[in-house]
Amino acid sequence: MLELRLLQGSLLKKVLESIKDLVTEANFDCSATGFSLQAMDSSHVALVALLLRSEGFEHFRCDRNISMGMKLVNMAMMLKCAGNDDIITIKADDGGDTVTFMFESPNQDKIADFEMKLMNIDSEHLGIPEAEYQAIVRMPSSEFARICKDLSTIGDTVIISVTKEGVKFSTKGDIGTANIVCRQNATVDKPEDAIIIEMKEPVSLTFALRYMNSFTKATPLANIVTISLSSELPVVVEYKIAEMGYIRFYLAPKIEEDEEDTKPGV
Amino acid sequence: MAEIGTLNILGEIQYLVSDQLQVVSYKWLSRNFSVSSNEAKRILMEFVEQNGSGLEIVYTVSGWLKDSDPVYHVRLVSGVKLAEVKKKFEGNCSIQVYSVQPCIPKDPAALWNSEFVQAEELFNQPSTIDNCLRDNRFCGVSNSFVIRNVSGTSAGVPPVQSKIGGITASCRSSSAVQTPTVPQQKAKVQQSSPKIGHSPVVATPVIKSESTASGSNAQAHTNNGKVAALPATKKKPQSEKSSSGAGGSLANMWGRASVKSKPTCLPETSKTVTDSTGNLPTAEAQICASEAIDTVSSDDDDVQCVNHKRVSNGKSNRNRRVVFDFSDEDDFEDAVCLASADPPKEQSNQNSESNTKTLLVGKNNSNVEMQSVDQSNIKQETTAEREITLPSKEDEVIAVKNKTTEKPVKTPDPKVVACPKDQPTEDVCHSTKRRRVLKTRIDERGREVTEVGWEAEELQDKNSDKKDAVTETTNNRPSEAKKSPALASNAPSIPVGKAGAKKSGKGRGVKDAKQGNIMSFFKKV
Repeated sequence: MLELRLLQGSLLKKVLESIKDLVTEANFDCSATGFSLQAMDSSHVALVALLLRSEGFEHFRCDRNISMGMKLVNMAMMLKCAGNDDIITIKADDGGDTVTFMFESPNQDKIADFEMKLMNIDSEHLGIPEAEYQAIVRMPSSEFARICKDLSTIGDTVIISVTKEGVKFSTKGDIGTANIVCRQNATVDKPEDAIIIEMKEPVSLTFALRYMNSFTKATPLANIVTISLSSELPVVVEYKIAEMGYIRFYLAPKIEEDEEDTKPGV
Repeated sequence: MAEIGTLNILGEIQYLVSDQLQVVSYKWLSRNFSVSSNEAKRILMEFVEQNGSGLEIVYTVSGWLKDSDPVYHVRLVSGVKLAEVKKKFEGNCSIQVYSVQPCIPKDPAALWNSEFVQAEELFNQPSTIDNCLRDNRFCGVSNSFVIRNVSGTSAGVPPVQSKIGGITASCRSSSAVQTPTVPQQKAKVQQSSPKIGHSPVVATPVIKSESTASGSNAQAHTNNGKVAALPATKKKPQSEKSSSGAGGSLANMWGRASVKSKPTCLPETSKTVTDSTGNLPTAEAQICASEAIDTVSSDDDDVQCVNHKRVSNGKSNRNRRVVFDFSDEDDFEDAVCLASADPPKEQSNQNSESNTKTLLVGKNNSNVEMQSVDQSNIKQETTAEREITLPSKEDEVIAVKNKTTEKPVKTPDPKVVACPKDQPTEDVCHSTKRRRVLKTRIDERGREVTEVGWEAEELQDKNSDKKDAVTETTNNRPSEAKKSPALASNAPSIPVGKAGAKKSGKGRGVKDAKQGNIMSFFKKV
C-alpha cells in the first residue's frame, strides 16, 4: 500500500513538465526515504534524477519498496488536470498495475481521481558516485534559462567556462558567435539574484544546447540553479524542490577533439 | 706580456667587483680569462693585496686540523675570521683567495652563482669547441680514475695518443699532482706557461695529454678485462662509452640517438647542443659542484673518490659524475646543495614529456642494429651500461611509460629521454618514407596523452594503439551515443529508431558523433 499526500501539488506538476520531454517513460521508485526517479533520455546522453523526500509529504505511507513504471507523457497529462493549488495524493496497491492520482481542491469542495495504467519498464539504474566538482556555479534559474535559450538561437553547443572572473557561456553557429559572461555577484540584496561561483580549478566543457534547454524546463521549480562542472564528469544542473528534494540533470560533455587527430610529419 | 695581462685582469676585477658587484672567484677568473686556476688564485691574491680594503674576501684555508683526527680540511673562510680559523689548523696551512666580492652574500650559494652561469654557458657551446671546461684545462687535479681512452674501441685512440706524444713535455705532470703533496702554493711556480690560456688551440692538447696520461694510467690499472675492472675502480660503466674517443663517438651516437642514417656532422652537433641544454639543470649543477670541490681540494688527497669523466666529446660531458667522500663538512655541504638544488622535478617532467619519444628511439635503435653489427654491439654495450648506471632514472622512465603506453620498450635510453628537443633533428634526418604522426588520446586518468609515432612502420602498433584508445575511451570518455547499447526495455515503443527520430527532429544528428554518453560515466547498479 502506497499513499503519498503532497500539499503543494503544483510541485509534482512542474516536475513532470520538466522531465516529460527528456524522458518518455520511467520507473518511480518509492521507499521509506521518499519518492524518486532516475532515468536516462533515449540516447543515453542525459540523465535525470529526482528525489522527493518523505518528509516533504504531508502524509507518506510506503509499506514496501515499490517501483512504478509510468509513461511520463500520460502522467503529465493527468497531472495537468489538477489545479495549481490542489493537493495531490498518489495511491497504489502492492502488486497492482495501476496508480491513482487524487486531486483535492484547497477548500476540499472538489475531489478528482485519475487512475493510470502502470507499465513494466526494464530500466537501467545507474550508480551516481558522489563527486567533488571543480567548479560550482549558483545562479538565478531564470537567468540560466534565458542564456540557454538565447544561445540556442545561434549555435548547437554551449561551452561553459568557469574562471575566477566568472562563468562564460559561449557558442558558435553559422551566423556568428555569442559569449555571455556572468560575473560573480554575491552582494546583491536579493539572494536569489546572486551568482556565486565556487571554483577549485578553471574548467571548460562543451554541451549540447538542446539538452540544456530541456533542463531549463525545471526553472519554475526553483529560483536558483546549481551547475556543477568537472572536466571528467557530466555536468550537473540541479534545481532544488522546495526544501523537500531536488531534480538533477546530468549531461555528458561533448568530446572536443577527434581521436583521429593526426598531424603529418615534416 | 704576462704582466700586462695580469694588470688588465686586475683592472677588470676591480671593475667587476666594485661596479658590477659581482662575486669574482678564482674559478670564474680562470675560465673567463683563460688562465690556470692557480694563476687565477695568484692574481686574486695580488688583487687583494692591492685593493683589498673595502672588499670582502673569502679565503680557502686548507690543512690539517689540530684537534680532530688527522683529516685534511678545506674551508672557505671570510676575511674577518681568517685569523681565528687559522689557529685551528695545525702548522702551516695553505691560504688562498677563493673569491672577492663587495660583501659577503647571505646565501652561500651566491658564491657559486656566477661560476655556475659561466659553466652553463661553456657547456652550451657546441661540442666542437673545446672550451676550458670540456677538457678541464685549468684544473690542478688529475685523477687516475679518470679514463679517457681505455678500451681499444675503434679509431678513437690514435689521434689522441699522437697528441700525447707531442705535448707531454709541456704539460704539468699529472703524476706530480697525484702524489700526496701537502698544500701547494708552489703551484705558482709550477705553472708552466702563462700564455696557455690565451690561445685555446694551444692549450687544448696540453690538458688532453694530461688526461690521457691519467687515462693510460687507468688503463694500466684496468688492463685487459675492462668490464671486470670497472667495478673495482668504482668506475661508472659509462666511461667505456666516453672512452671511445673521437672516432668511436659517431658510432656511439648512432647507436644511442634516434637518427636513422646520415652520418653528417651537422645534426649531431646541434643535437648535442640541445642535449646539453636539455640536461642542464642536473648535469651542470653537478659539474659545478664537483668542480668546486675538486679545485678547492686541489691539494687534497683525502678526497679519494672524485671520479670525473672528462671527454672532449661534448655529449658525454653530461656523464661526468662525482662521487665524493665527505670527510669534512662545512663548505662541502653547500656544494652538495648546489648540486642537487633545482633539478629533480624538472628532470622528471622532461622524462615524462619525452617518454613517448623513447619508443621511437628503441625502434630506430633496432634499425641501426640491422645496419651494422659493430654499431649495434657498441650500442648494446652502452645500453647495458646504462641500465647498470642509471637504474633510478630508468625506473622512472619505465614507470612513466607504463602509465601511458603498453608498448614494450626495447631499450629505454635515459640519455635520449632526457633531451626532449631531440625531435627536430630526427625530423631533419629522417627518411621520407615514414610519416611522423601525433596521436592524442585520453588515458585512464583522464589526462591527455600525445604520442608520437611513425605511421608506416608502426602501422601494427598504431592499430593496437588505436584499439587501446578506443577501449579506454569507452571506459572514460563517452564515445558516440550510438555505440552504446540501446536502451533495453520491455516497452514496445522505444528503441533506437525512435532515438534517431528524436535526434533528427530536435537537433542536427551530425554533431552527436562527438556527444558523450552518460553510461560511460555512471555504472549500472
